[in-house]
Amino acid sequence: MKIGFIGLGAMGRPMVEHLIKAGHELHVWSRRPVSTDLAIASGATRHESPQALARDCPIVCTNVFADADVEGVALGEGGLIHGLPHGGLHIDFSTISPSCARRIAARYRERGIDFVDAPVSGGSAGAQAASLAIMWGGSAALEPTLEQIFGVIGKRWVRVGEAGAGQVAKACNQMVMVAAIEACAEAAHLADAAGVDFAKVRQAMMGGSGASRVLEVFGGRMAERDFQAGVMSRLHQKDFGLLLGEAVKLGVPLPVASSVCQQLNAAQARGQGERDTSCLLRVLEVADTEFSTGEEVQ
Amino acid sequence: MNVGFIGLGLMGRPLALHLEKAGHALHLWARRADTLQPFARVNAKAHVSAAEVARHSDVVITMVADAPDVEAVCLGLDGIAEGAKPGLIVVDMSTINPNAARTIAQRLGEKGIEFLDAPVSGGETGAINAALTIMVGGKAEVFEKVKPLFDKMGKSVTLIGDSGAGQVAKACNQILTGVGVLAVAEAFNFATKSGVDAGKVREALLGGFAYSKILENHGQRMLDRNFKPGFKAWMHQKDLRIVMEEAHRMGLMLPAAAATGQVFNALVGSGMGENDSISALMMLEKMSTPEA
Repeated sequence: MKIGFIGLGAMGRPMVEHLIKAGHELHVWSRRPVSTDLAIASGATRHESPQALARDCPIVCTNVFADADVEGVALGEGGLIHGLPHGGLHIDFSTISPSCARRIAARYRERGIDFVDAPVSGGSAGAQAASLAIMWGGSAALEPTLEQIFGVIGKRWVRVGEAGAGQVAKACNQMVMVAAIEACAEAAHLADAAGVDFAKVRQAMMGGSGASRVLEVFGGRMAERDFQAGVMSRLHQKDFGLLLGEAVKLGVPLPVASSVCQQLNAAQARGQGERDTSCLLRVLEVADTEFSTGEEVQ
Repeated sequence: MNVGFIGLGLMGRPLALHLEKAGHALHLWARRADTLQPFARVNAKAHVSAAEVARHSDVVITMVADAPDVEAVCLGLDGIAEGAKPGLIVVDMSTINPNAARTIAQRLGEKGIEFLDAPVSGGETGAINAALTIMVGGKAEVFEKVKPLFDKMGKSVTLIGDSGAGQVAKACNQILTGVGVLAVAEAFNFATKSGVDAGKVREALLGGFAYSKILENHGQRMLDRNFKPGFKAWMHQKDLRIVMEEAHRMGLMLPAAAATGQVFNALVGSGMGENDSISALMMLEKMSTPEA
């Protein structure tokens, strides 16, 4: 199958490699041509614009950053909408706001083009291992086509509903996961303040009803104080901005998510944006560490 | 009137002296004798126990740290209840849990002792200037008897309701001041980090619906970087703990107070407990500064 791919970052690159290995014909475009070099070396074809790419490939995948990026690539000047044929398909793996996904889907629909929002969970490790969890929204009739792609890059995929539904599921996923990371960080900080080894606490908890994937992975990084690897906290912060924005639009209270977002904000301000989200432990540690502002108080 | 006074700290000392100046005879007891030093030359008698104070008083005022202290002074060994004459009135001006106040009122009532909970707002300055806000819970007829004493200590004296009602009012006061201080600190930090002069922002907002005494007074002290207490951060932390305990007992949702309480926890944890609670601003500034 001829597949266009835009967005060759830490997630996109291994996805493209898997698709090429599975025998698909890959066509790529990037704002910075250098980003496509590895894909070209693996046999992909480079195009001059999303529009040009879409003229050649009726199925285009994107994995870019935020709302504005997806909207630009899809609907902007030289965008996919100007190249995709009637019956064409745009699959977006980025994490964006549900309302943005719906807006793009509506514009495509006017021209008989399908849009699928298919955000993923599993991080770059999951992308490399082709074990991503994919939650998608779009027309059910597309399932056979999508399976040929999803089956190559992921392990599990669920159609959640119409366009935008995948992004809603992703927002829920992020909310549950990062709240759990913050809970781990708070547990680690409490254990530490009480003079107890969190590594032992975690080990004990893993046998009980407090056990979770987050406690295993992120709790493990906290116990080892390894904040480098994993998921960059600025990506989670971006996701929380999106989901709290949706909560405002829908009038939905998310008290825990809003507190967690403040901790993520502090992590950014403290220069921890490139670090793994387990650095939420650092944010707590900084908050109650003695410090001097050099100001005379008493 | 013979007035007993137990708890002669920053707040209690000036209040007791106001009452003495108004012509009342003071009866005092303190755990540490040097606490009584400022009363050496006035009409005040030192006693060996709270029970002895009660034996010589018509009204006993307590102003201590927390519920267990009030309980010990009122109902403990050598406590007020042991020396009380029938009809003695105990007025507790400490800030404690409303439910604890109700329990103490009931237990004293069983012994024929009247009880008013009468926490205050206004800080040390308010105590020195006899300008406190006093929020009272208890029986109306008992309140009327004590009202002349309250008037010597405060400017705004209100009977809120039955026993515990004064503490409920104080808890509401602490929700508003705690959340208010944090709100002003957040607004100022937001302005500064946006490259805007927080002083100008304050000036502009004082004319609008965001006006508050906290924006005016605490806000000015934040701009002056004057973090001297005032009202100590650890006390605000304690008061919000009381609020959250009551909320928990009732199953009541107080999201903003809960978040504020966490900031005060961090203030105390970072060694700023003795500063004024407006130090929340320094905390926010620290949390928005890149790691060294």
